Amino acid sequence: MNPAPTIGVIALSGELDLARRTELQEVLRLRDVHASILVDLSAVTYADSSILAELLRFRADAARRKVAVALLITTRQLSRLVQYAGLGDAFAIYDDRGAALSYLSEAAG
Amino acid sequence: MRPFFLTAVVLALLVPTVVAGGLFERHYIAQAFTVSEDLRVARTTEFAALRYQLDEETGVRGFAATRDPLFLGPYRDARANLPPTLDALPLDLAKVGIGDTPLVADLAATNATWVRTVAEPLLAPRSRDDAAIERRGKNIVDRYRTDIAQLDSLLRDRQNQVDVEAQSAINRIVVLMLASAFLIVLVAVASVLQQNRLGARLEDQRLRAEAEERRNLELRAAFDVEKRIADTLQDAFVQRPLPSHPMLTFSATYVPASEEAKVGGDWYDAVEIGEQRVLFTLGDVEGHGIEAAVTMNRARQALTTAALTGGDPAAVLTRVNGELLRSEARMVTAVVGYADAGSYEFAYATAGHPPPILLEPGREPRMLACGGLPLGVMENARYAVERVQSVPGALLVLYTDGAVEHSHDVVAGEDVLLGAVVTASRSSERDIASRIHANIFEGRQVGDDVAILTIGFGRHPAAGAAKRIA
Repeated sequence: MNPAPTIGVIALSGELDLARRTELQEVLRLRDVHASILVDLSAVTYADSSILAELLRFRADAARRKVAVALLITTRQLSRLVQYAGLGDAFAIYDDRGAALSYLSEAAG
Repeated sequence: MRPFFLTAVVLALLVPTVVAGGLFERHYIAQAFTVSEDLRVARTTEFAALRYQLDEETGVRGFAATRDPLFLGPYRDARANLPPTLDALPLDLAKVGIGDTPLVADLAATNATWVRTVAEPLLAPRSRDDAAIERRGKNIVDRYRTDIAQLDSLLRDRQNQVDVEAQSAINRIVVLMLASAFLIVLVAVASVLQQNRLGARLEDQRLRAEAEERRNLELRAAFDVEKRIADTLQDAFVQRPLPSHPMLTFSATYVPASEEAKVGGDWYDAVEIGEQRVLFTLGDVEGHGIEAAVTMNRARQALTTAALTGGDPAAVLTRVNGELLRSEARMVTAVVGYADAGSYEFAYATAGHPPPILLEPGREPRMLACGGLPLGVMENARYAVERVQSVPGALLVLYTDGAVEHSHDVVAGEDVLLGAVVTASRSSERDIASRIHANIFEGRQVGDDVAILTIGFGRHPAAGAAKRIA
């Protein structure tokens, strides 16, 4: 369970909708120093389709740079939205932070 | 308005200054004139004093030389006039500021000496040494002349002084006038310049306002055109007639979030394929406006075409995903599938879309499976076909996310939607889709566009079977 220093964590919170899209794009701008990134959505209460699309674009970008990405989702709200969007096909999704970090450190290693 | 205020202030200060200065200098000049006149009077008196002395001397010398009494007349006149003249002289001198000079007293004393030591001896019947007396007389008169000359020099100095004062007063007035004129011209020029600048600014503002207005009109016109096009597209796309089928019932509704954003990018379609099968698609394009409407049209067309040319729903989604990626269109979520009126089977696949709801007679409504990435976002997205064997009287409800995400609480939204479906199915309303929408948004704000499509299997399997046999 030791998070490697190369794991970047992006923690988001609140309601994410079109109004916060630009903010999200800023936050998700990939930092090359990280071999893997955990997007912590545990404090997010809602995400509309534009935000989910943004996450997918982020995922595609990360894949091109060979950066592993995991989503941490602990609420029923968000896991349902993510299920609608089919994000399970694109992301490693965890409801446990430790598990997510160990996946990422393995992926980074 | 500031430059005009400034002009007013300058003029308000300038005019009294000029008037006061003028009055002040006028007083100086008037005084100079008065003093000059007094000086003239004083010099007249002074010359009179000299003339009388000379008249006296001339009379006395004439008489001494000729003994002709004719010369005594002028002498006596002068003798009578000189004392009052010498009395008047100090007063005249005092008027021009030369008071208390010893010269006047000396004149009187000198004349008295002359009368006593020169005139009287010479006028006496027997004169002794006339020549000596006359010599002495000349000296005394010279002294008298010198006194007069000194006095005259004093008066001329005073005159010069007054002239200089008057001249400088005149100079000051001229300077004041010139300065005022210069200042007035300056203020006038400044005010004209300022006015021009103000005018230019006003003109500039007006032009800008006009340009703005024009741009607004153009934008408005463009917006109107776009809205009309988009509305037309939307009407044509969304409100495509539903099939009428002996074994299947359809209902659909599309409600935009607002009249302004009538074009939402939501769509639904139901197309008969052969006698028993119906293709259905329902989807949602990210965003609003013409671009969304165009993407919607492309996605919908591609889905329908792909479905009609064969392939299961997952294969259809895979193909359309590739097409949308190539055309760099917006993200699209969709559900595509077939309903088989003969076998009561649904087969469908979803792409980033909320799950269909199935309501079967005598059972609770349920959310079916969903999954698969939205279309147009990722290469190699995989889609899975879901097959549902259902029963007569079953109702399949497809919808866009606006039907569950209106409160941003999707868990509660699903419960509301399921309740709305049950209530709608129990009503006698044929337009179940509109009923569902009304039930969801009863007392709620419509936050997003909502499209709903329902497909129902007939309750009489015999009718379907009979038709199939036929």
